[in-house]
Amino acid sequence: MEALNLITFTQNASRLGMRIQESFSEHTRDLSITRGAGSLFDMPDDKLKNIGRQLDSSSDREKLDAMKKLIALVSKGRNVSNYFPQVVKNVASQNLEIRKLVYIYLLRYAEHEPDLALLSINTFQKDLTDSSPLIRAMALRVLSGIKVPMIGSIVVLAIKKCAADISPYVRKAAALAIPKCFQLDPNHQPALIEIISALLRDRSPLSIGSAIIAFEAVCPTRLDLLHRQYRRLCRILVDVDEWGQVDLLNLLMRYARTMLPKPIVPPNSEGSDEELDPDLQLLLSSSDPLFQSKNPAVVLAVARVVYYAGPPSYLPKITGPLLRILGTSQAVERVVLGYLFAITSVHPHLLSSHYLRLLVRTDDAPQVKQDKIRLLINILTLDNYQAVLREFVEYAEDVNDQVVADAINAIGQCARLIPACTHQCLSALMSMLKSKHDIIVSNAVQVLKFLVQNQLLSGTLAPASTSQSPLTIISQLARRIDDIRHPQAKACVLWLVGQYSPTQEGGTVIEGIADWGPDLLRKAAKTFNQEDSLVKLQILTLAAKLFLLCPTDRTLGLLSRYVFSLGRYDTNYDIRDRTRTLTVLLAGISPAINGDDGAEDQGGVVLRREQVMKVLFDGKAGILDDGPRSGDNNALIGSLSLITGKDMHGDTILPEWLELGIEPSLRDSEDDVTPTPAPVQAISSSRIVKSSNATPVVLTPTGNSAPVRDARESFRDLDKFYADDSDKSEEFDSSSAEQDSDAGEEDDDSKEDEESDEERDNDADENEEDGEDVDEEHERQGRHEIQT
Amino acid sequence: MAIDGLIILDGSGRPIIQSGYTAYPPAYPLLHIDTLNNALAQVSRESDVDPVLYVGPGIGESLAGSACCHIEVGGGLRMIASISGDEDPLVAFAFLQAFLEILQDYFGAVSTATLRDNFDVVYQLLEETLDSSGHPLTTSPNALRDIVLPPSLLSKLLASVSPSAPTSSSGRNTGGSFGGNGTGAAFASPIPWRKAGVRHNHNEILFDVVEEMRGIVGRNGVTLVSNVWGKIESNAKLSGTPDLLLTFTNPNVLTDCAFHPCVRLQRWTRDKALSFVPPDGRFVLAEYQHTSPSAVVSHLPVPLALKTNIDIGEFGGTVHLTLSSRLSTKELDNVEVELYLGDDASGAQCTTSSAGTGVGSVGGAEGSWSFDSRKKALRWEIPSMRTSGSWVLRGSWTSKSKTPRPAHAVHIRFDIPAYNFSSLKVDQLRLSGENYKMYKGVRGRSLGSIEWRW
Repeated sequence: MEALNLITFTQNASRLGMRIQESFSEHTRDLSITRGAGSLFDMPDDKLKNIGRQLDSSSDREKLDAMKKLIALVSKGRNVSNYFPQVVKNVASQNLEIRKLVYIYLLRYAEHEPDLALLSINTFQKDLTDSSPLIRAMALRVLSGIKVPMIGSIVVLAIKKCAADISPYVRKAAALAIPKCFQLDPNHQPALIEIISALLRDRSPLSIGSAIIAFEAVCPTRLDLLHRQYRRLCRILVDVDEWGQVDLLNLLMRYARTMLPKPIVPPNSEGSDEELDPDLQLLLSSSDPLFQSKNPAVVLAVARVVYYAGPPSYLPKITGPLLRILGTSQAVERVVLGYLFAITSVHPHLLSSHYLRLLVRTDDAPQVKQDKIRLLINILTLDNYQAVLREFVEYAEDVNDQVVADAINAIGQCARLIPACTHQCLSALMSMLKSKHDIIVSNAVQVLKFLVQNQLLSGTLAPASTSQSPLTIISQLARRIDDIRHPQAKACVLWLVGQYSPTQEGGTVIEGIADWGPDLLRKAAKTFNQEDSLVKLQILTLAAKLFLLCPTDRTLGLLSRYVFSLGRYDTNYDIRDRTRTLTVLLAGISPAINGDDGAEDQGGVVLRREQVMKVLFDGKAGILDDGPRSGDNNALIGSLSLITGKDMHGDTILPEWLELGIEPSLRDSEDDVTPTPAPVQAISSSRIVKSSNATPVVLTPTGNSAPVRDARESFRDLDKFYADDSDKSEEFDSSSAEQDSDAGEEDDDSKEDEESDEERDNDADENEEDGEDVDEEHERQGRHEIQT
Repeated sequence: MAIDGLIILDGSGRPIIQSGYTAYPPAYPLLHIDTLNNALAQVSRESDVDPVLYVGPGIGESLAGSACCHIEVGGGLRMIASISGDEDPLVAFAFLQAFLEILQDYFGAVSTATLRDNFDVVYQLLEETLDSSGHPLTTSPNALRDIVLPPSLLSKLLASVSPSAPTSSSGRNTGGSFGGNGTGAAFASPIPWRKAGVRHNHNEILFDVVEEMRGIVGRNGVTLVSNVWGKIESNAKLSGTPDLLLTFTNPNVLTDCAFHPCVRLQRWTRDKALSFVPPDGRFVLAEYQHTSPSAVVSHLPVPLALKTNIDIGEFGGTVHLTLSSRLSTKELDNVEVELYLGDDASGAQCTTSSAGTGVGSVGGAEGSWSFDSRKKALRWEIPSMRTSGSWVLRGSWTSKSKTPRPAHAVHIRFDIPAYNFSSLKVDQLRLSGENYKMYKGVRGRSLGSIEWRW
């Protein structure tokens, strides 16, 4: 008997030993797999052959391994759709890990292999009733991804089933499957709309975001479905997840502009007399807390609501939050600056006192620097121009050429927008002419040209110091022509000199021409051949003008003729054309200018000197610089077009306000029987009468409606409900809690001592936990405990 | 239209992870990758690339262009979100940031190696966070941890052992039930940001108040603007459903706040107290700004002073910087002064010294300098700056250009451990809803990023 026992015992022992060994080897094997996943990623091709065999194997581990290999191949960009039939068999696997990977594979390839996916459609349908919400959702996602119109009605049924699921996660998946089903076969629209309106009624805020996505995809124009949900959607806004908030805010904004009466703004008031529809007020007040979201996209969506649906008195609310999200990241800063630019183009006053937040830093990206400069010009006022102008002068020394150009242009804009600072601008620009950097000089010259020209045209000649008068500036420019190398700047100076050299003052070398004119022509003639064609054209014009002013001067005549003959044989036909035009024009004054002594009479009209004067000098007025770009005012805040500056062919359009709005009673639902929603304080008394007339359905007698309403209101808001609740509990245990926490500190200390004792006794295989403890200790270092 | 897809590029610009792009021709993601790589090749500093790149039309039937929104992830990695239509790029950037935070939450540091080691997890995460039609789904790490198991060694062991347990019949069941336990609770929690049934042996919650001062100082040494951006980072390891109430002694130093969704906003507006049920693990509880309390001076004082004397000559120039601390009690750590010397800069030669720093000046206290030939910047690092004394950098640089164009500002970065600019002080942290003792800790830290013009 004992012997028998012994035998069974040894048998059992050996079996146990084998088992242990087996499991051990399997552990280690798997360990090597997990550790070497990197090598799995870079595995050689010959191992791929095994995948098919592994997928067919009966071991779950083999299958899992094969699935991981497949996903690795997917991430390498390989097409592994040829394993589809073998993978699809595993969708019914008992192991959840395998099933998840199988579904990931299926989600990617079901659209390419619809026929094969159809084969396993029964499994998917069965999985719709799985106990795990995860599997139910995944099954629906794969099912809706199969692009075979034939199964459309099955998918609709599946969606309908899942839309009534107990898990909000599955309801969310159902909502997201709706657009796909609609794409597959638009004939299902009525059924889908029914599901959508059911989903919109969902009590849980979790799935609302996805329901909105489905709404926008399937029936974006059916805003009437929202009538009864509008108020509830406004109220649950705070509890929706952040991505849903973005979509919901955009939808509610669209609803408000389509269905609610436009806010009435009396022309000459400062916001106190604005008339707001209570429902609009509700939207604005319930979206206001979301300005405190950490997600910049949500903050922007709220700003859009206020900007496009709010009355003017609400506008200042958007500046603080938008300025705050500027600091989120460089990428966000870049995008938000673009939006701020669009906003300040219409409402410059919003940011003008916050200009300090928009100063350029040298480590900003060039695009950000340019945007900030544009913005600063937009918000320029009499109060801040001194500081902003100083900044622009600072930016002119930037290391990026485009930023330099923008900054110097901005100085010109300052002078144009705030005439009081013209003097400062001019002296700043003049000092830039001394810069060693080409790019600064040439940009300064071009801006100076604009300023000088505008001043001379408008006749508002600064009576101030002679060093700032336009003509002195021109003469200084003429003197510095050798330092100006940028062709456009050089051409600018030449043109200015030619245009403004006529003078009434006596005492010049050549009568009627300022001294610097002919000298500049002399210099330019010498270097004519090396110049850019842009400069050559201006040299020709200068020669023609000077010659016209004093045809009798011999030196000037010779100089002009020299320049014209150079132009006549230039390689560029543009320059040859210009030369011909000018010489013919001047033929009436001196035929000799043609260079061939007027041997042949060319006939045609010959102009007199006064007429030529008119042609060459007049009509050069009104070249005002274009100012800030105002091209894409139609792009919306929060759209890609505004950022890229290109038409992105988006389908988002801003609906026009409805003057009167639709009947507010349509929005009454069983949720709020009370005639008017709470926020009525901002509405004039006449308005109250009107709206209560409009909502005749008062179910509760007025006598005792007040207490009922109070009770409802306190329960309407979940947060408030919790807050009240927690208040009570705090009051209840605050005294004891304080005592407790005092004692708690000591407890903590002693507990830690105990733990350290325990740690010493611990076995080696609990090392991992120990490590965690050490980490914790490490983390606690440097923190002081909160003293309560 | 929404986010068309997401791509992660490695340091050499090749894609490692790429989402489905099922609705687009295969060349579409490639076009985005090429656009970004071309743009990166054209600039000397990577941060100079516009974060939103326009990608022209040209492929497929769609006539409209699209845009490539990208962020740098660290370790040379980049993430791209392609968007088309009139989608708001902010949604793309917010999503990229959220996905990056999830990856960091799962793998600690994000690098090519960690992504390759855990590509199956990354794909599951991608599948759960971004719908195939391009709408972000759930991005709360707590909810995700229920669906996608984080790759800890323990969970891998369990997952691999259970299905292959010796007794085949029961093994299958345990395998199934294990999976059921792991994911059956998915979205079972009534609070979307907190998973249900959390248990910890030690209950503790730690707060890090991190503040960063960003400022610009003009060339005359007058502070033009300085703002403090603060963040309350938290690491909660609390069991059950703890309801916390955090109060400050001086909540009025906080302005323009933004909160984690768990914070009850109405409570904050009413009595400036943070009432919340925290998510499990690390999260950012709040972000705020701190501005000068007085109405007269619109900026906060910068905690250090710099004297600059920089001369630009031909083919180079000389630098003479003197730095001293203005703080009377705390040391400034890891001070880093950087001057961009222009694209043509070819080298620099400097000496550093420190004066009046006391007797016990250790080797290297005066800092070290280096010339970054890739970023063309002169960098001066001082590991620790005491409250008294001054630090001097003297030297010259050479440039290939006759007229060098250095940046006209010196960039200074520093840390101040155990210090807060706003001197925000936690008054109490009270727990309700659970009755256990918890360890509570607060730590302050400040960073600075100052631009000093010359």
